[in-house]
Amino acid sequence: MTLVRSDATPFIESPSGVPDLETLYRTHAPAVARWAAKLAGPLVDVDDLVHEIFLVVRRRLPEFRGDAKVTTWLYRITERVAQESRRKDRFRRWFSRARHLEIERTTAPPHLTPLDEVERRQSGATVYRILDRLPAKYRNVLILFELEELSGEEIATLTGLNPATVWVHLHRARARFIAEMKRDSGRST
Amino acid sequence: MKEPTARSKQTDANERAPIRHRWTAQPPGDGDEALAGALLRSAAAVQPFGTKNLAEVAARLRTRERHLSRRWAWQVAIAVGLLLFGGVVSAAVMHFLRAASVGPALPDAPVSMPPSGPVRRTHAVVAPPPAPVLLPEPSPIARVEETPAPRLAFRGATQESLEAKASLEPPLALPPNPSALAQESRLLAGAIHKLRQEHDPGQALAMLDEHRARFEAKGALEPEAKVTRIEALLRLGQHDQALRLLDGLALTRASVGREMLVARAELRAEKGRCGAALNDFNSLLAAEMPPDLVTERALYGRATCRAQMGDGPGARSDLEQYLARFPTGRFADHARTLIGK
Repeated sequence: MTLVRSDATPFIESPSGVPDLETLYRTHAPAVARWAAKLAGPLVDVDDLVHEIFLVVRRRLPEFRGDAKVTTWLYRITERVAQESRRKDRFRRWFSRARHLEIERTTAPPHLTPLDEVERRQSGATVYRILDRLPAKYRNVLILFELEELSGEEIATLTGLNPATVWVHLHRARARFIAEMKRDSGRST
Repeated sequence: MKEPTARSKQTDANERAPIRHRWTAQPPGDGDEALAGALLRSAAAVQPFGTKNLAEVAARLRTRERHLSRRWAWQVAIAVGLLLFGGVVSAAVMHFLRAASVGPALPDAPVSMPPSGPVRRTHAVVAPPPAPVLLPEPSPIARVEETPAPRLAFRGATQESLEAKASLEPPLALPPNPSALAQESRLLAGAIHKLRQEHDPGQALAMLDEHRARFEAKGALEPEAKVTRIEALLRLGQHDQALRLLDGLALTRASVGREMLVARAELRAEKGRCGAALNDFNSLLAAEMPPDLVTERALYGRATCRAQMGDGPGARSDLEQYLARFPTGRFADHARTLIGK
């Protein structure tokens, strides 16, 4: 996939030796947005999330010395910000009356939206409900493999994990996902 | 030689084996993996982060402005709500404890205690009461209105009943069962938990029914219960009942919220009540239109209603406005098809 190959960007080789935020943003923002959207799920505003991620990137850019690959560094930031965002979202939904996305999910009028689109969105919501019951390390690896369609090696590069660990996490994530999926369908019937 | 740890023993060699086939690449079928693949495929497609999004976020980054005013509003609203709720609950608990510890002394409290709210009640009990003198001015009710705390105590009471009560009891008496609010909030919190954490709208409805049976629509948290009931009904797909409740609510843009209003409009439109739906959509789109999902839904919904009511130019105008504001919106492709762009 492109995200790992795009690591060959020349920004580390900039004359000052300090990564340039603009180049970094131009080169990696689409990939970061894709990871963020998939890690955070459908209830999160991707624009806000990307903005937050690059605010963190800007703050921590001076500390980046190139010990890790840029994509690995960016992915870790994305993972943390997405996790925080999901946590806040859960909190907000718990206390908020105006749960527009939840209401929208259930009330999207059939004559306004094609039925299959509604079903697709409901399935998407189900996927994230199941994924959210998995430990983060399994959840994220499964998302990268199945939704982002990265290879095991690419996931290892991106996450900084040992390739063997990636496969172990993936095997376990799949087993847990199937179990949770069965539990979910059992409850919904 | 290093002994393998318990964890590494558990890690079967099979678990280290690379996985060759993605579930999402599997053909449809009845097996677990095929079902999981179908489910995951539905979540795989995300809206692309287009050039416009890139430019918007870049502009926000350049100007160092955080476009998170809505979040601030949420956070402030949540904090204020928590503080108010905490205040009400702790006041109720303190009153309950005080009443329990004072016991029978309460009825003897003088009617003539100073008109400064329930906090002075302790002084009235502790200090030897002066000769009971009924104070005609200001009346107990006037004093109650000046003090915020006992508002719940007089919910639903008439002025006459309060005046009659004032001649028998201390003027700032709290409700006979101060733990009612705690019970009510416990029931409601349980229903919300069932609904949003356990995703069990059926159980949530059962708890809301219990709430209604116990408090007979007179509970202090009845509005919250009603909104929660609507959400549960929507999740159960019982749109008719949800709409019946929503129809009974005097919704404004500022009351229960724009989201409830847009939900009602969509449900009305769904039932073919386009006239009523238009009123709601118009109400939502009358003032400022923040670039959020509610505006997006309202614009598209109004276009649909106008089209159904034969107002072609109005529908077209809404769709054009929709495309101008939400060029990559959810209904953008459909809108473009409709207006032939």
